[in-house]
Amino acid sequence: MLYVKDLHKSYEVGKVKYQVLKGIDFHVAQGEFVAVMGPSGSGKTTLLNCISCYIPFDGGSITVGGTKLAGQNEEMLAKIRNTKLGFVFQDFMLLDGLTIRENILVPRIVQGEVGRDGEELADKLISLFGIGHIVNKYPAEISGGEKQRAAVARSLINNPMVILADEPTGNLDSKSSRAVIETFIEAKDKMNATIFMVTHDSFAASFCDRVILLKDGTLYRQLEKDGSRSEFQDELLGVIKEMSA
Amino acid sequence: MTLTMKTMELKLQRAGRKHSRLYLFCNFMALMIISAYSALMCSRTVQTVFPSGGDSRKQMYAIFVMTLTGCIVFTIYAAGLFFRHKSAQLGILMALGASRKRLLPGLFREVLLLSGVSAAAGAAAGLPFVWILWSLFRLVLVDSSEMKLVLDFRCLFISAAFFLLVVGFACITAWRYLKRTNIMEVIREEHTNEPVKELGRWCGPVGLLLIFAGGAMGYFAPYVWQILFSAYAPSWTSILYVPMLAGLYMTMLYTVVYGWGRNKKNPYKNIISRGMMKFQAKQTVNNLLVITLLIAGGCFAMFYLPASGTSTMLSYRSYPYDYFYQYRADQKVPEEDEIKELAEKYGLTTKDWAGCDYISLAIGGYVNVEEEGNRYHVEYLPVCEEAQILSEDAYSALTGESVDVEPGTYFCVTNRDESNIYANKSAQDLTNMVTKKGISTSFAGYLHYDLLAEMIGYYVIDKEDYRILEEGLTDQWRGRIMQFNVEGEDSYSFAKEFYGRFLASFDESCEYADFYNRVEKITAEEAGEIYWMDTELGKDFMISYDEADSMNFQLRWRYQPKFRILLINDYLCRMGVLYMMFLFIFIVCLTTSLVVCYTRCQTIALNNRYVFDDLKKLGASPGFLEKEIRSQCGNVFRVPSLVGMGIMYVLFAMILYANDGRITFYEMIALIICLVLVFIICGVVAGVYRVTVKSIKKQLDIG
Repeated sequence: MLYVKDLHKSYEVGKVKYQVLKGIDFHVAQGEFVAVMGPSGSGKTTLLNCISCYIPFDGGSITVGGTKLAGQNEEMLAKIRNTKLGFVFQDFMLLDGLTIRENILVPRIVQGEVGRDGEELADKLISLFGIGHIVNKYPAEISGGEKQRAAVARSLINNPMVILADEPTGNLDSKSSRAVIETFIEAKDKMNATIFMVTHDSFAASFCDRVILLKDGTLYRQLEKDGSRSEFQDELLGVIKEMSA
Repeated sequence: MTLTMKTMELKLQRAGRKHSRLYLFCNFMALMIISAYSALMCSRTVQTVFPSGGDSRKQMYAIFVMTLTGCIVFTIYAAGLFFRHKSAQLGILMALGASRKRLLPGLFREVLLLSGVSAAAGAAAGLPFVWILWSLFRLVLVDSSEMKLVLDFRCLFISAAFFLLVVGFACITAWRYLKRTNIMEVIREEHTNEPVKELGRWCGPVGLLLIFAGGAMGYFAPYVWQILFSAYAPSWTSILYVPMLAGLYMTMLYTVVYGWGRNKKNPYKNIISRGMMKFQAKQTVNNLLVITLLIAGGCFAMFYLPASGTSTMLSYRSYPYDYFYQYRADQKVPEEDEIKELAEKYGLTTKDWAGCDYISLAIGGYVNVEEEGNRYHVEYLPVCEEAQILSEDAYSALTGESVDVEPGTYFCVTNRDESNIYANKSAQDLTNMVTKKGISTSFAGYLHYDLLAEMIGYYVIDKEDYRILEEGLTDQWRGRIMQFNVEGEDSYSFAKEFYGRFLASFDESCEYADFYNRVEKITAEEAGEIYWMDTELGKDFMISYDEADSMNFQLRWRYQPKFRILLINDYLCRMGVLYMMFLFIFIVCLTTSLVVCYTRCQTIALNNRYVFDDLKKLGASPGFLEKEIRSQCGNVFRVPSLVGMGIMYVLFAMILYANDGRITFYEMIALIICLVLVFIICGVVAGVYRVTVKSIKKQLDIG
C-alpha cells in the first residue's frame, strides 16, 4: 500500500544544510495500523510531510497505491492528496466557518461534488464515531476530542488508501486520546483503513500493529505487536529508553 | 443546501469577516486619502493660487509623495495581514487535496471583490470627503471667491492608478500564496515569526549619529559647495540626506528590539512586550517609518501656518500708522480732502497725516552671473535694480525721526529686526534712468521703519545728492508716500471703500507685480534682450486688476497699500486657499498616520493572541496584560510621533534660521506656537492611543 525507499530530505537554514532523513526504508500493508515514534528532531514529522506531498523530498521514492510521488506535477499531487490520502492533524485543522458535517465533507467538495454517496458515507462515519450530536455545530463550539473525531471522519470521506495522522492525540487529554485512537481502530476494523500515525505517545502507539522507531533521521528499529497492548507499551518504553541512552 | 466549492468558499469568507473588515478599512482609507489629496492638489482652486514652481507647490507635491508612499506601504501591509490569516484556510484546503487550479477562481473572486470594492468605495468617497472638509473650512474658517472649490477630474487618473495598484498587489499576493509548494508553511503562516538576527548594541547610537550626520551634511552641503566651487550645488547633493533615513531605520530597530535606557533595578521590565515585538521587528519598523514620515509631513504643513501667519500678523499690528499708501506721480489717486470726506461718511476722523516724495533710481549691486553648468561668478553691476530713494528730509517728515546722511552715502531702510533680505548694502552707484546720470555712493547703515521694508528697497540719501539725482526724472520715476491714522476705532467699510477708490485710480501702466523691475527691463532691452518677465516664463507671475481680490494680487501688486484693518481682517481670506490646503494636508497626514498606528496595534491582538492566552494561564493579572499591551502600543504611537515631530521642529527652526542667519523675534513667537501645536498633536495621538488600547483589550478579553 505505502512503500518508502531510501528517502532523503534536508533543510537549508541560511548557509547551513541539515540532513533530516538519511535513507529511510519501510512499507505499510493494506489495513495495517502503523505508528512512527522517535525523539524530537528524529525526522518523524518530516517523513510524514514527505508522504503527505506537503514538502518535496531530495532523494529516494514514495509509492502510494502503486503511484510514485516523485516527479508528479502539482495538479497530480493534489489529486493524490485528495483521493489516495486522508489526513489527521495535531491541531485538528477544521475550518472555522463550516459546521462539523460540512468539515467532514470538505475533501468531497474539493473533489467536485458531494453526491448522494458522499452524504451517506458522512452519515455512516458520524454515526460510527459517535459525533451525531455535534454535526450542526461549529469547531469553536465543541471539545478537542470531538474535533479530532470529526477530523478522523473527514480523513475517511474519500475512502483513502492511507490515513496519515500527525500527533493526533498531542493536544488531547487521556480520555479524548483514547476515544480518538478507538476511532482509528473502528476505521481499521470496519472499513479496512490503513493508518500511518506519527506520535510521541507510547500509549497511543501501543494500539498499533507495528511501530517504526526513528533516530537521527534513520530507521532505528521496527517493533510488531505480539501480545497484549500493555505488554507492547512496556516493550516500546524499553526500546525508547535504550534509544535515548 | 448541497455544498459546492463556491458555497463553501462563501461560507469561509463570511467566517473571516473580522480580518476582511480590517483589510477593507485599510484599503478604503488609503484610497479615500489619496483620492481626496489628489483631487484638492489638482483642483483649479489650488493650482491657480499656488505659484507655479513656487516653494509652497513643491512642498504640497513632496508631502503628497510622502503620503502616497505611506499609503502604498500601508495597503501592502494590510494585504499581508489579510493573507496571513487567509493562508491557514488555503493551507488546509491544499492539504486536503485542493489544487492551485481549484482554489484560484474562488480566491481571486474574493480578493478582487474585497480589494476592488474597498478601493472603489475609497476612491469614490475621496471627492465627497474633500468637498465636505473644504465646505467646512469655508463655513467655519474662511470664505472668499478664491476658496470656491473647482475640481479638475483629471485627478481621477491618480485614484485609478492607485486603485489598480491596490487590486494588482492583492492579486499578486494571492498568486504568490497559491504558488508555494510547502503546504505546511502555508498552513503555519499565521503563526510564523520573522527570523531573528542578532542586532548589535551599536545599532542605536550609530543610527542617531547617522541622523545628525545626514541632516548636517544635507543641510550644509549646498553652502560648502558654493564656497568651494563658486557654483550652485547640483541637485544630487540632496543624496547627502540619505544617511538620515538609514539612521532613522537603525534607531527605530534599536528602539523596538532593545529600547532606550537600561533599567538596572528591573532588567526584566517590558521583557515580554519587547520579545513579542522583536519577532516582528522588520514589519514594525517599516510601519514606524511610514508613520514617522506622515507625521513629519503633517507637521511641516501645520507649522507653515503659524510660521507664516504669526510674523505677518504681528508686523501688521506693529505698524506705526493705520493707513499707508504710495503711488506713482503720474497716477491720480484720491487726495487728502477726498479721503477725509470719505472718512466722515463713516463717522471717522483722520489724524497724524504725514507724507513725502520719493524717486525711483537704479541702484548698483552684486549679482551671481551664471556660467555653464551650475557655475557662476559674482559681478558688480552699477545699474542693477530699481530702488526707491528718499531724501533725509523726506524720511524725517515721514517717520518723525531726524536723520543726517553724509553726501555720497546711503542708509538702507529695513524692518525692526533687520530681517528684510532684499535690503542692498553693497551698492556703489545710484543712477537716474532717464538722464543716465549718477553718483557714487556707499552703505552707511540701517534705518528702521517697518512700513518701508519691502521687496523693492527704500533708501535714504543726502538732500543735495537727492536734488542732483532727481533732475530730469519724469513722473513715471517719481512717487509719493502717504500715511495717516484714524481717531478711535477704525471702520472696515471705510477701508474697503477707500481701497476700492485707490485701486480704481491706477491705470494699466501700474498693473505689475513688485518683482517686475523696470531697471532690469531697460538694461535687458538696451542689450538687445527680452526682459524675462515679458517672456512666456513671466506670464505665470503676472497680476491683473480683474483679480484684485486674489492672494496673488494682494501679496504682489507693486502699489498695494497697507491698510491695517484690511490686512488683519482679510488676512485669512487672502491666504485662505494656501492655508486651508496646508491644513487639509495636515489633517490627511495625521489621519493616515493614526490609521496606520491603529492597524499596526490591531495586529498585536491578532498575532499575539496565543501569547496573551498563555500569559493568562500562567496567572498574569489583567493589569499586567494591559501593561504589556500599553507597552507595545506605546512604542507604535509614541516613537514615530516624537521622532516625526522632533525632526520637523528642528528642521523648521533651521529653515527659519537659514532665511537670514538668525531667529528673529517673530520667528521665535512662531516656534513657540509650533511647540503648542506639537502638544495639541500629542494630545490627539494620545486620545487615539487610548481608544486603540481599549479596543485591543476588548478583543483579548482583558477585563
